[in-house]
Amino acid sequence: MGAVAREAHSHSPWYLAYRRLRRNRLALASLALFVLIIAFVLAAPLWADHVAHTGPNTTHTTETIVVDGEQRDVVSVEGKPIGPVWFGAGGRFFLGADGGLGRDEMVRLMYGGRTSLFIALTSALITTILATVLGLLAGYYRGWTDGVISRTLDVIWSFPVVLLGIALGTALAVGGLKIGPLELAGNSLWIPILIIAVVYTPYMARPIRGEVLALREKEFVEAAVSQGAGSLRVMFGELLPNLWSTVIVFFTLNIANNMLLEASLSFLGAGVQPPNSSWGKMVSTGVELIYTAPLLAFAPGVMILLTVLSLNVFGDGLRDALDPKSKVRLEARAGLPEPEGTAV
Amino acid sequence: MAFGLVACGSGNSSGGKEGGTLTGTYASFPDALDPALSYTAEGWNALADVYIPLLTYKHAEGVEGSEVIPGLAKEMPKITNGGKTYTLFLRPGLKYSDGTPVKASDFTYAAERVFKTNSGGSPFYTGIVGAEKFAETKTGGIPGIKTNDKTGEIVINLTKPRGTFTNELGLMFVAPVPPDTPNTNQSTSPPPGTGPYMITKSDPGKGWSYERNPEWAKANSKAMPDYPSGHMDKIDIRIVRNSSTQVNEIEQGKADWMQTQPPPDRYPEVKSKYEGTQFRVQPTINTYFFWMNTTKPPFDDVKVRQAVNYAVDPAALERIYVGTIAGTQQILPPGMPGYEKFELYPHDLAKAKAMIKEANPSDMDITVWGDNESENEAAVTYYNDVLSQLGFKTTLKVINADNYFTVIGNLTTPELDTGWADWFQDYPHPNDFFQPLLAGESILPTNNGNFAQIDVPAFNEKIVKLGEEQLESEQKAEYAELDKGYMEEAPWAPYGTRTLSTFVSSAIDLDNVIFNSTFGQYLTSFEFK
Repeated sequence: MGAVAREAHSHSPWYLAYRRLRRNRLALASLALFVLIIAFVLAAPLWADHVAHTGPNTTHTTETIVVDGEQRDVVSVEGKPIGPVWFGAGGRFFLGADGGLGRDEMVRLMYGGRTSLFIALTSALITTILATVLGLLAGYYRGWTDGVISRTLDVIWSFPVVLLGIALGTALAVGGLKIGPLELAGNSLWIPILIIAVVYTPYMARPIRGEVLALREKEFVEAAVSQGAGSLRVMFGELLPNLWSTVIVFFTLNIANNMLLEASLSFLGAGVQPPNSSWGKMVSTGVELIYTAPLLAFAPGVMILLTVLSLNVFGDGLRDALDPKSKVRLEARAGLPEPEGTAV
Repeated sequence: MAFGLVACGSGNSSGGKEGGTLTGTYASFPDALDPALSYTAEGWNALADVYIPLLTYKHAEGVEGSEVIPGLAKEMPKITNGGKTYTLFLRPGLKYSDGTPVKASDFTYAAERVFKTNSGGSPFYTGIVGAEKFAETKTGGIPGIKTNDKTGEIVINLTKPRGTFTNELGLMFVAPVPPDTPNTNQSTSPPPGTGPYMITKSDPGKGWSYERNPEWAKANSKAMPDYPSGHMDKIDIRIVRNSSTQVNEIEQGKADWMQTQPPPDRYPEVKSKYEGTQFRVQPTINTYFFWMNTTKPPFDDVKVRQAVNYAVDPAALERIYVGTIAGTQQILPPGMPGYEKFELYPHDLAKAKAMIKEANPSDMDITVWGDNESENEAAVTYYNDVLSQLGFKTTLKVINADNYFTVIGNLTTPELDTGWADWFQDYPHPNDFFQPLLAGESILPTNNGNFAQIDVPAFNEKIVKLGEEQLESEQKAEYAELDKGYMEEAPWAPYGTRTLSTFVSSAIDLDNVIFNSTFGQYLTSFEFK
């Protein structure tokens, strides 16, 4: 019997997962980076009010600022925005202006991050809830319930994600969304949130359904049923706790995917609507000035990269911690030697 | 300057090389390569030297290029019957590029085709007797047009005088085409034309090609000796979506001309590096403006609309458009007959705020509309910020440029409060700015052009009266008055007039390229050094 098996007799699975995660320094470093990014975007109002003294959407096209004692246009007469001045103007226009409108790039980067992360996190949460419920229903009831749910998910799955997102985003940007009492304006952040949540639901619901199909044949489910437990009790009291590790890992990785999709949709004009900023939207407007002011596209691009990278690495670490067998399976498939102490 | 080359005749050379292949780039495929249907600057640019109408515009720059001259017609129309009858004669010996002789009745066919294809240009010709009915039924012909194929006579009867009709006869919508041309969009196989070039290949989305019209040298150039013959033997146009790539291709000599503007990012660099040798700024006749819906609060109050005019700063918008906009605050742009400069609303944000406070509008929640073309989106974002500074609670709606005007031109679209728009002349006549954009009768449930929905009876009457008269100095003065009158009512906050540009490779003789403010660069004017 290996070391892990001995641990298993004395600690809960969650504690064991925590210990395994704690040993994965790369995952922890990624988590720390993600926390830093969260802190950075949460500090947006502080920076805007006390350092930059401007809002994310306030234009300064014809204004001038004093940089290291020298009077300079925020936007030149030829339309060129001021570049990064760091602390040369007391923190104003730290990363320069965002183009002809002369908005503070640093302030927009921080507020844009809030938007991007809000969309990514909220849509991941909605996707997770939807996918878990649908996966449970389809896997537990099987038969026509499974047929209806699975075919509906197949229809959504059959569209390329970005294409479907653009189609929905463009259509809803004009008239907004109205379903019964639910009414959303075309420029509401909930439009991209719902689009992203819906298009990614099949990608999470299908594996969950597969896992439920396997779990419902286990003895503990039969035992619960024989003791008179109803369907809801079995699904949410017996099956769901056994799905948590899968759901948590999917949730983490889904945030990263959602952030990329939001960036793509906003880049293509079907996501966040102006004057709001998001990192994807900022890359889109920055690309137009890539020759003269490359930082405008580069800065939000790097923020997307760091956020997605940190979430993906942390998500992988979390998966290894919650389900060490998956790592063994992956490594065996790749022809790598089995790590010591993982065999039970 | 290109003025020296105006109407260089057939076979005339201005010292450059004759022949060769011009490679040009467009950012997108034009709306149509069909003379009856094309209604964009890109399309007119592509077709101007392929389809010649009965009347045409002088191959010249600036004001001179706005002069209507005979095209396929022998001379300018004889206008009789109190301005309601136009009589023209076709030049003899004309042929289409496929060798078919041009007949007077082909004009009737072309005019009917405009209605049969539901062309956007059809409103220009509904004033012809019977045309309105034909537009509905599409059968029975247009009785107001009588032709005689033997004599080449074409008589057009109008229901009432129309001072802009000669301009409208100079548009390609009614350029004669062979009578077997199908009444559908022929962009993939453009019909034969009468101009110096013919389109030999069209691949929508990718590009198209021209070659010399074989009938031009044999027949048409002899019948129209004043019309330029062109210098290139072949012209290939490719679609290159990224305008920065287009700039690179010109610099590397892979392309000779880009129809698109250099992007804002490259514009200052291109201008400073190549102006005078390969690059030229081209004044055009257009107005960029923000419209305000005068039928509902808060913009039903003239004080509020005037305050917005004080608040909008054309100097800021000049920077947003990287210097390609010249600030102006009136309906008619410089260069348009009837334009007289005035400045009713010098930028004063404090005054604007005070006026809003005084007006105390009942509704401060407004929706601001704009399209997503980069500078226009930036302009409406600026406008949104200005309105916020005035105390309005704004919702900005930026939608795809492809269907922007369809959406804001549909009166059932909710929350049409204010927004961005622009207007490029169809032809150099001031009525083309007032009638479609500001006359009460132009408020339409769909395809509405009067976005401000302004309806001032005195101004409406004046527009109708002036529209029936020929444009002389007296009329020009009245249009100038109308311009000022409308700006006192302030249905718009105009902010500028856009310049375009000509950018060519070092192999092309820039001095010879003629830019017309309606049709862009004439293909016949390109010449290798």
